[in-house]
Amino acid sequence: MSARAVTPTSAPRHGSRAASAGDRRRRASGLARRVPRAAWICGLIACLNAICWSLVTPAFQVPDEPSHFAYVKQLAETGELPTSSSQVTSSEESAALTALHQVAVRQRPQNQAIATNAEQRQLESALAAAPHETGSPAAGVATSQPPLYYALEAIPYTVARGSTVLDRLALMRLASSLFAGLSAVFVFLFLREALPRAPWAWTVGGLSVALAPLLGFMSGAVNPDAMLFAASASLFYCLARAFRRGLSARRAAAIGAVSAIGLLTKLNFAGLLPGIALALALLTLRAARAHGASTALRWLAFALALGAVPLLAYAGVEALSHESLLRGASVSSGSPGSSPLAELDYIWQLYLPRLPGTADYFPGLFTTRQLWFDGYVGLYGWLDTVFPSWVYDVALIPAGAIALLCARALVQARAALRSRAGELLVYATLAAGLMALVGAASFTAFPQIDAEYAQARYLLPLLPLLGAVLALAARGAGRRWGPSAGALIVVLFLAHDLFSQLLVVARYYG
Amino acid sequence: MRRVTLTLVLGLAGVACAIGLTLAHAPTTVARTNRPPGQPEQEIASSRESSRYCQADETLPRGTSALRVWLDAAYGPRVTVEVSAHGRRIASGQRGSGWIGGAVTVPVTPLARTISEASVCVSFDARDETVIAQGNPTPAASATRDGTEALAGRLWIEYLRPGSRSWASLAASTAQRMGFGRAAPGIWVVFAALALMAAVLALAFRLVLSELP
Repeated sequence: MSARAVTPTSAPRHGSRAASAGDRRRRASGLARRVPRAAWICGLIACLNAICWSLVTPAFQVPDEPSHFAYVKQLAETGELPTSSSQVTSSEESAALTALHQVAVRQRPQNQAIATNAEQRQLESALAAAPHETGSPAAGVATSQPPLYYALEAIPYTVARGSTVLDRLALMRLASSLFAGLSAVFVFLFLREALPRAPWAWTVGGLSVALAPLLGFMSGAVNPDAMLFAASASLFYCLARAFRRGLSARRAAAIGAVSAIGLLTKLNFAGLLPGIALALALLTLRAARAHGASTALRWLAFALALGAVPLLAYAGVEALSHESLLRGASVSSGSPGSSPLAELDYIWQLYLPRLPGTADYFPGLFTTRQLWFDGYVGLYGWLDTVFPSWVYDVALIPAGAIALLCARALVQARAALRSRAGELLVYATLAAGLMALVGAASFTAFPQIDAEYAQARYLLPLLPLLGAVLALAARGAGRRWGPSAGALIVVLFLAHDLFSQLLVVARYYG
Repeated sequence: MRRVTLTLVLGLAGVACAIGLTLAHAPTTVARTNRPPGQPEQEIASSRESSRYCQADETLPRGTSALRVWLDAAYGPRVTVEVSAHGRRIASGQRGSGWIGGAVTVPVTPLARTISEASVCVSFDARDETVIAQGNPTPAASATRDGTEALAGRLWIEYLRPGSRSWASLAASTAQRMGFGRAAPGIWVVFAALALMAAVLALAFRLVLSELP
């Protein structure tokens, strides 16, 4: 019996307020029931895995975690946004960082985390003696980011207020782990919409993504990337649903709302905007043919309004308070003296082998392999924790096999692909937009730093596409061997996750 | 379903074997170093172009399987190490670009015996990035050389070789160390992490068995 059918007969007699609360509960539970049990389990696995990562990784040994912590402190304690990108954080955070030897350990793989009772006692007394200042106006590199993730993290921060910096950090990491669960659930739901013919393959894609070590590592830390991954996964789901079932007022609103959430979470979400714009254009055209132009345009207006209004509100707050909107968006200004063509060439080479006749921006470096593939296979801590080099070579074997099986599935389904060309173009634009944004940001630091933002985590908003590749690879093994290939892929991701955590344990505590 | 179960069982057995092999393996330890203990990092040279630093009178302990060279870079270039003694090349190794931090570890073929009076040359292909060499300030006569030019001191080099104890025998001390640096210190962290991963494993396998045909 559907939730809608239940409502009239079970309406309580205790007044309209109680009735509407009951309706809301029933609607929510109906919504939850529509999500397959397997999706919830994938979410739970991702969440538990991220919590495990949060225990394994030492405090503040994740990129930019001190800055993100400072941002939350400022927001939770003063209600205001940070104003300085200085790396000098509050006294209590600095005391914790010093006692943890954070600077000596960070990017120094030969140095390990504190390891003796004496150091632990020193840490405890430093935490107890640290003077408490209200807020932290300086939040380092996090200062330029929008506030939504930090506002949510202010809840666990406030719950643990009065306890030590490390207590607050631990609780915030736990809260962040929930986003890994959301990411996995939305990847599963995306696969259900995008690949409706093989339900067992949804589990392969969703579960493998849930076990992806980089998702666990980033979500088990205080970092807005965790929420960004969840926001982008939900965007992929909303778009796939709209392409499969057609645009409606509700689906348009969902796309708009998710876009707003993403933009208010981390600036990198802006890289997905070209893809969102293309998707809305295609979906509106289709809806105009089916429902008439005025209805389609009304839905489009819904999506745009829901996407733009929160962003404009944030822009207003920013304009009234201090600096310009999207302070960090200046990343795409380009290196001095460089041409747009040079920037384009740089971005191309950041991901792919250089074209004949172009300047070589990365001599001796195969960027696709060394920056992105190796970075995904294993680069933890402050980008200082790596596997022995043979591991990256061996990893090419399963990666190649997955790529071949995926290609086979795509060839087999080429007729269906042709009919979904518009949708595929949207996914390609989403990926290209994000990659271009990361490339443009790296170009601003070039040539002082060859590839500053060439970190695999910046591409994790494309996790749904990884899930799709894995699901397709399992299907590409054929009807007979597909499920076994799927099980093998899951085991592979599980092994990758286990060994990645062991690597981190060996690096910091071994 | 039988195939899926078999795949899972075999896969799990493979993972267990790999973990066993890893635990039987000994982590590398520093067999010899010319860095004084506790000495803060000290720059002796910096370069934004390809360079080759050579350091004479080095002693490489038997079993050395990697050299940790104290070069600092934001995104390290490819580094090549060559060890020679008495006019003969003894060992060499290369580390690809992309390393980060104050030191780069370059694997070399393990040495069968101790080599003294060796010359260690470290070359890198920097183009725009700054590579900083860290070491002890010394007189020019004993300093590391970049071609004919003496640097401001001797480069820190650590010689690494597999330790005598396996990861398995170090498990207890590693677990104890994991408990430090936390809000609530203690070995509970290890048990919590193990319990979480066991739950992840159980849930994942159950899901695969129930959903895959």
